[in-house]
Amino acid sequence: MFFVGGESNVRDYYDVVVIGGGPGGMSAALYAGRAGLSCIVIEGNSTGGQMNEADVIENYPGIEEIKGPVLGEKMRRHAEKFGAQFHTATVVDVDFSGQMKRTILDDGKIISSEVVIISTGASHRKLNVPGEMEFSGKGVSYCATCDGHFFKGKKVALVGGGDTAMTEALYLANLVREVLVIHRRDKLRATKVLQERAFSKPNIKFVWDSIVREIRGNEKVEKVVVENKRTGEKTELEVSGLFIAIGIVPNSEIFRGKLHLDSQGYVVTDENMETNVRGVYAVGDVRSKGLRQIVTAAAEGAVAASHAAETYFG
Amino acid sequence: MGLLSEQDVQYLNDLFSKEMRDDVRILVFKSDDTSRCEYCDITVSVLKEVTDIDERIKLEVYDADDDEAVAKRYDIKGRVPAILFLTADGQDKGVRYFGIPSGHEFSTVIQNIISFSNGANPSLSPASLEKIKQVDIPTEILVFVTPTCPYCPRAVLLAHEMAKANDNITAAMVEANEFPEWSMEHGVSAVPHIVVNEETAFIGAYPEDMFVDHVVQHVLG
Ligand SMILES: Cc1cc2nc3c(=O)[nH]c(=O)nc-3n(C[C@H](O)[C@H](O)[C@H](O)COP(=O)(O)OP(=O)(O)OC[C@H]3O[C@@H](n4cnc5c(N)ncnc54)[C@H](O)[C@@H]3O)c2cc1C
Repeated sequence: MFFVGGESNVRDYYDVVVIGGGPGGMSAALYAGRAGLSCIVIEGNSTGGQMNEADVIENYPGIEEIKGPVLGEKMRRHAEKFGAQFHTATVVDVDFSGQMKRTILDDGKIISSEVVIISTGASHRKLNVPGEMEFSGKGVSYCATCDGHFFKGKKVALVGGGDTAMTEALYLANLVREVLVIHRRDKLRATKVLQERAFSKPNIKFVWDSIVREIRGNEKVEKVVVENKRTGEKTELEVSGLFIAIGIVPNSEIFRGKLHLDSQGYVVTDENMETNVRGVYAVGDVRSKGLRQIVTAAAEGAVAASHAAETYFG
Repeated sequence: MGLLSEQDVQYLNDLFSKEMRDDVRILVFKSDDTSRCEYCDITVSVLKEVTDIDERIKLEVYDADDDEAVAKRYDIKGRVPAILFLTADGQDKGVRYFGIPSGHEFSTVIQNIISFSNGANPSLSPASLEKIKQVDIPTEILVFVTPTCPYCPRAVLLAHEMAKANDNITAAMVEANEFPEWSMEHGVSAVPHIVVNEETAFIGAYPEDMFVDHVVQHVLG
């Protein structure tokens, strides 16, 4: 696969600035473009967002099975077709105090816009146990698709029990010798089909009712210490790597004090996806809501951009 | 069918006509020994497809062993496939790729084509440029990546921009799977993994100011 996304010169003003190039942001850009608005998507990494870490996606209606990065590339092209522009940079600050919003980028650029759509999504939650920081990048990983290759033929552990954790366990099972899934309860939270698939893989084993207490090693991860919640017994698992998939935290730090956030840091909006600041919207995983999926992020992007077009450019 | 789809070609054609100015030279070093270079053929093929799109992009294919003089001039050290960019007037800004830039990494190749066609000026903030000026010794930045890592292309681009900003700096993408020994030497087990002057400087994705700070601090000690 070769993704050919290119970039044009960035202007000082756009009708709509979209912060974050995941499915929520790209859907918003597509709808903004079709509504005739000028629109730029600012993405700090690669367009696609968390979809880039999904080896396979099979719950986006109309598409039975697709690789995450490929769906991301399709969404980008689709938005570009209707005039949306993309730029690689991280947004480091925002100024929502005036009617004209200002978005400040790490490459020194500042963009003004009437409307800002926030779709910064979420990042991997940390375990916060001894050894995690020390061995991050030395056996501790938060991205199986990024780093799985380095553990070919080895034994690894993975913490978590949700959809993401099972997707990653299944991906790793094809690369590594054995995956030990450490989960704090005695059953998984993941969707039925993913559970069944994981249970049927002979090289995925489960360590139930257990929490990770410590990560140990010399230069690299060698052991993961787990505690059984029922018995209180501690065991050392000998593994070369530990993958962490225990949920997400919203990428909302730069909006703190500027927008209404809920107690967990997710951005609060009304049913049109508009925040407490007029002209500023939030969509996707960063928004305070129920189901966090590609299809909901995309739907919310559509709602936000359409509402913005009608309300501010009608 | 080619490696790039018809839509890709159309897309790049539009992009290059809008954004390119002068000629760009892409040099690629290969080896016909497939046991040594699994991805040389495909690397050359995809670059050929790109260069066919706009006549201002000139591709020069060299054999890393047979064309010894050129390989030596650009310090390829037998690592294939290797790719580098030159401006129309032959300026080498120290931008390198070792291994195939596939997946999202390929978009950095497109960015570099546009950049080198416009004089290879670094696209960095004034504050970063000021810091990069302090690098007064020969410095090599290696960014180890895997093709499936979405956080890696930005790190590669930032390293390449630093190379464009200061003649003391060269910066290379290294595809870790293709160079297992080289990766092992630096203990790479998560990407992006950034090595500066033969020592691991940091691991992980960072915004521009932190990336530049980490590299500059590592050089200046
Ligand atoms: C391994 C894995 C598998 C998954 N599988 C599925 C699945 O099968 N089906 C499904 O429906 N969902 C799946 N999900 C969940 C799904 O990917 C997310 O719900 C969805 O991507 C959320 O979209 P989003 O647009 O809100 O944000 P994200 O996809 O998180 O994208 C946000 C983007 O914003 C960028 N960003 C953040 N802050 C800044 C900033 N300051 N400046 C610039 N850019 C910034 C980030 O780099 C990122 O690219 C999976 C997730 C993971 C991790």
